[in-house]
Amino acid sequence: MSDAVIHDRGYRPYDGPRLGQVHAVKSLTLHTLQRIFGLRRQARSKALPFIVVVLAYLPAIVFVGLSALLPKALRDATLPTYEGYYGFVSGAIILFVAFVAPEALCPDRRSRSLSLYLAALLDRTTYLVAKALAIFLTLLTVTVGPVLLLVLGLSIQNAGPDGLGELAIAVGRILAAGTSLSLFFTAVSLALSSLTDRRAVASATTIGVLIGSGIVAAVLEEALKFPDAFLLLSLNTAPYFLVNVIYGVTMGREATYEIPTLIIPLAVAAWTVAGFGFAWLRYQRLQVTR
Amino acid sequence: MTVIRATEVTKRWGATTALDRATFTIGDGITGLLGANGAGKTTLIGLVLGLHRPDGGTIEVLGRNPWTAGSEVRAKVGYAPEHDALPPDVRAHDLVRHLAEVHGLPRREATERANDVLYEVGLGEERFRPVGTMSTGQRQRVKLAQAIAHDPDIVLLDEPTNGLDPVQREQMLALIRRVGSVLDIDVVLSSHLLEEVERVSDQVLILDAGRVAGGGKMGELGEAATELDVEIAGTASQARDLVKRLAAVGAAATAEGRLVTVALESERVFDLVRDAVADGGIGIRRLERRTTSLEDVYLAADGGGTA
Repeated sequence: MSDAVIHDRGYRPYDGPRLGQVHAVKSLTLHTLQRIFGLRRQARSKALPFIVVVLAYLPAIVFVGLSALLPKALRDATLPTYEGYYGFVSGAIILFVAFVAPEALCPDRRSRSLSLYLAALLDRTTYLVAKALAIFLTLLTVTVGPVLLLVLGLSIQNAGPDGLGELAIAVGRILAAGTSLSLFFTAVSLALSSLTDRRAVASATTIGVLIGSGIVAAVLEEALKFPDAFLLLSLNTAPYFLVNVIYGVTMGREATYEIPTLIIPLAVAAWTVAGFGFAWLRYQRLQVTR
Repeated sequence: MTVIRATEVTKRWGATTALDRATFTIGDGITGLLGANGAGKTTLIGLVLGLHRPDGGTIEVLGRNPWTAGSEVRAKVGYAPEHDALPPDVRAHDLVRHLAEVHGLPRREATERANDVLYEVGLGEERFRPVGTMSTGQRQRVKLAQAIAHDPDIVLLDEPTNGLDPVQREQMLALIRRVGSVLDIDVVLSSHLLEEVERVSDQVLILDAGRVAGGGKMGELGEAATELDVEIAGTASQARDLVKRLAAVGAAATAEGRLVTVALESERVFDLVRDAVADGGIGIRRLERRTTSLEDVYLAADGGGTA
């Protein structure tokens, strides 16, 4: 007797489990992550995220390779500090920030598929939570991953932190610094991408605002002799000041910039809250159907 | 069974009143939501989905308030918007599966059902194509598929035949009819096209400038016949003669060319007409009740025949 089974394809009533909003948020987060990395789409959609990830990880791979080849004295002089690593990849981070949030947010408004999400279990807030989560997780790949790779690569060669305790502290700082960077840039880019449904415009705006705010802050601080704390107006500088605070790099009187340490996390937190708040308000007022 | 119940629902957009104290119930089966562009159909759908808060009145969907219990209501409601709302670079199957998931279905079940519904709407072989490479007719089918993938109790279809050619339109109407009858999902079909509402709906709700202008079961609308059309096989003067003969026996009638319209006050009028034409030697080409068509109701609601 044959084991063949005839499958009846077509509509059937469904009486299985129905999950809630958390499941819907998770599904949208995963779907957005797939979209950002170009998965299940044409090859050209994968190109930019792939290039940026390579750019972010390449210095770490090179440094790990160098540490294996160079003598110890030269190695210590050549290898960057963990917080200093961001100096090598800040360009890649800006590029990723300018790409990720527009890719996550704009197509849903441009194709008007936002209305399909809001007609499902999601509301405007949970929709934004899912999108923010996807952007945040994506940015972690360039803010945490490369530095983690560096510290682990060096540790394997006995060139990393001394002992398990030091390693744990280093990893903890890397996670804290990467998380704060990702959270900050998620908020800022989410806000800027909520302004338009065109990806290219959102990307250009994000790059413009990140660089432009740096220029404004520099002019205020250097040319107009405003206090150094005005550098926190620079959206591309403020989060790295917080990274320095996390790594215990002095920002007091003896440092290049004299900024009270307490002000830095407050300023970064204020920017982050403002970014999320702006995006939330924007989406609350967005007209979907009428 | 009442699926949607609205009581004195008002919704304003700035100075514009999109819905004005609308009171109605929508039962099971297929309900045509008929009205011209700007009549308030899409606003009503937004209220049903809980996307807008009414400025006045109450609305219940499946016994719940969609504004306060939005996600619970939307879990059991499907929606296909009027506009093209599909991301062009996503495969149809991926999209339908994903939207079934955000309606609460677990991933495995969503995957199976995405296959099933895409076969159901005739896109089984096309299901792995990016939506942007599909024709308008196929994209409308994808919209329908995503609206029913999570097995909703009710599905809201906003102008589902927009942009379709006559053949595609026929196929879409047949699919809608199948969703409402065979798949046993209650359907609200929003349309400005009288004929398609008349063809597939069990009942109709007519909106005009935000107000409920009429509605009821299709059969009941047709039963409201109040006049009898008598088309005679003769001249216009014979028609006028017939009007006089009828007036003489107490039946009010008017003539327009060879068509005599008689007030159908009772079944006795048929006898009066028979006797009058027999006495006058007037031949009859056609004699029928003038049923109140959906068009009559619609035109009356739309300002007495402005179409």
